[in-house]
Amino acid sequence: MAKPPPITNRIRELREQYGGMSQSALAEAIGVTRQTVIAIELGKYSPSLESAFRISRVFGLGVEDVFGWQA
Amino acid sequence: MSLTAAFRNMPFREKTAWVMAAILIGGAAFYLDLVISASRALGQTAPPVIGFVIAYVVVIVTASVVLMSALAATSPREANDPADEREKIIGDKAGNWSGYVIVVPALGALWHYAVNQDGSMLFHLVFLSLMLGQIAEYVFQIALYRRGV
Repeated sequence: MAKPPPITNRIRELREQYGGMSQSALAEAIGVTRQTVIAIELGKYSPSLESAFRISRVFGLGVEDVFGWQA
Repeated sequence: MSLTAAFRNMPFREKTAWVMAAILIGGAAFYLDLVISASRALGQTAPPVIGFVIAYVVVIVTASVVLMSALAATSPREANDPADEREKIIGDKAGNWSGYVIVVPALGALWHYAVNQDGSMLFHLVFLSLMLGQIAEYVFQIALYRRGV
């Protein structure tokens, strides 16, 4: 198993707060596959800066409200 | 989760990687079987036969067209979608790593030729290196899809 990147995220929690938004709907909104959203949520993939901004915008938040750095 | 369900939930490009890896492994086995059978019949390494190479290419192309068309028919939307950022990284990494897989047996083939002066074996080993490189590319893609980039 690859070492997970030190970037954390609240995407799953925010999807639930956002009316139970599905992974597919989020994937569609930011232009990636559902499996990529799953990989981001599980910390298996760190999204590009562009995708991080897109995800944050979907929830109406700033990047640092969605993503964190685990020191 | 059953194998069928696991396959259904895979990204389209991971499915294609599984299918292509299987086709290429089957194609390599088919080619090796032709060469080994011919070599046994001759009592020495079979010389390069263009017919074997053409047969290999025909098998690979036919199987790819049939199976990829069937796969695309089951997920037409995903099949038409361009690769996303993660899939592009996976493709790039797998392509890069597979280059090393080609180099190692190719160097072995050159060493074998330098020692034994067997040009026929050189041809088959270099061709095998290319086949292994292609198989490795899809195997690396599958591994990266499974374990994360």
